[in-house]
Amino acid sequence: MPETTAGGVIAISWLQLAMATGFVVFVGILSMRLALGIEKDLAIATVRTYIQLIVLGLVLRWVFGIDSPWIVLAILALMMAAAAQTIVKRAPDAPRGILGSSMLTMLLTGFTVTFAVTGLIVQVDPWYRAQYVIPIAGMVLGNSMNGVALALERTFADMDTHAEEILALVALGASPWEASGDIVRVAIRAGLIPTINSMAAAGLVFIPGMMTGQVLAGADPLHAAYYQIVVMLMVSAATALGSVMAVLLSFRRRFSADGVYLEKGYRT
Amino acid sequence: MLFLAEDLRFAPPGCGPVLDGVRLVLNPRELVDITGPSGSGKTTLLRALARLLPGVTGTLVFAGAPASEVVPGEWRRHIALLPQRATMRSGCVRHNLSLPWNLRVRGAETRPTDALLREALDGVGLAEIELDRDATKLSVGQAARISLLRVMLTAPDILLLDEPDANLDDASAEQVRAMIERFVDGGGSVVRVRHLRSDDLAARRYRLADGHLSEVL
Repeated sequence: MPETTAGGVIAISWLQLAMATGFVVFVGILSMRLALGIEKDLAIATVRTYIQLIVLGLVLRWVFGIDSPWIVLAILALMMAAAAQTIVKRAPDAPRGILGSSMLTMLLTGFTVTFAVTGLIVQVDPWYRAQYVIPIAGMVLGNSMNGVALALERTFADMDTHAEEILALVALGASPWEASGDIVRVAIRAGLIPTINSMAAAGLVFIPGMMTGQVLAGADPLHAAYYQIVVMLMVSAATALGSVMAVLLSFRRRFSADGVYLEKGYRT
Repeated sequence: MLFLAEDLRFAPPGCGPVLDGVRLVLNPRELVDITGPSGSGKTTLLRALARLLPGVTGTLVFAGAPASEVVPGEWRRHIALLPQRATMRSGCVRHNLSLPWNLRVRGAETRPTDALLREALDGVGLAEIELDRDATKLSVGQAARISLLRVMLTAPDILLLDEPDANLDDASAEQVRAMIERFVDGGGSVVRVRHLRSDDLAARRYRLADGHLSEVL
């Protein structure tokens, strides 16, 4: 018989974990039979899921127990650094040296939006309560990281595609912003579309993750919905702010001091 | 002497030299042609003259003033490069022709009126092009003339033209030739990169090969 914990969640045992893994093993066998070639990636991803989430669970358990603002801030800093690193990796067309501006973007949007939610809206007491701050920061950072990476990659890929046009405009006297502003605007918009789409589809096509979690934990679905609204709005705001900031901080790097676009072959 | 380029040197990162000590002189109201095999760096040289080539070294002097004393935006107002492929932004022909006046560097100048744009279009054989026409749907020959017209309307002292009649039909090429001739008659100077066709516009000819520019007599 499965045991029930205080929060109303039915706890999962190792046996049930093993059953879920069995389904993945089945997919792996299917992949081998059909020569899909995904069994190796699937195995690695499954192992990573196990390790990463169990480590996360242990770390969170430890952090919740310690209840120290410094530990919470240190974990937030680590999350931001990891997000900035991921952005750099996912935007291979961006100029070198955007780690700094990605870091700054994640720091400002991540901190501001996370603490706006926990401090002003949810009014967590004390302000650093890990149970609230860390999951919300995770959602804010994870989503804005995706948007920022998309906007950056799009900006610099599009600038390369339009290098000739940029050159013609600079030759007419355009500043870097005048020559590439239209491209940058389109790229920022592209970075925001997934976020806006997911807001528009929320509750119709899928139950958002946070609400799912709260409902599973036995919360009143309407209260869970309020929470989810706050988080979705703030995540969208974070993504928008982050994309605008990251692109504006970095687009000038692709121009020389004289305002000339550095197309492929002229980059050192 | 209106313009002097001396000891221009440029090697793209990780490659051998494209410009290896180039010297070029341009006098007022003079058109010079630059020829040379494809890939010899003619376009690169034009970009260097407009200060649009990152990493180039050497001396550029315009009207007695060295490039180091002129901010790049101001330099490019006097010495205007027209890249080989015409660039039309989305929007109408009017928007494209008056684009330079949307830029901060010309914020103080009055933008050309519709009447002036109309007259300019009529003068280059584009009487059938309405100012409201979608500029992205122009033919290659029309777009080439409109982008040449656009840069000429900004009244630069020196025009740097990169194969202005390449890929054009004979009628368009002839119109482009006439436009360049009028520009020089009006007091302008031109450095023109040529590949094939030759005409009688050039006062002097240079040849670029192996990174060196030599005058053809």
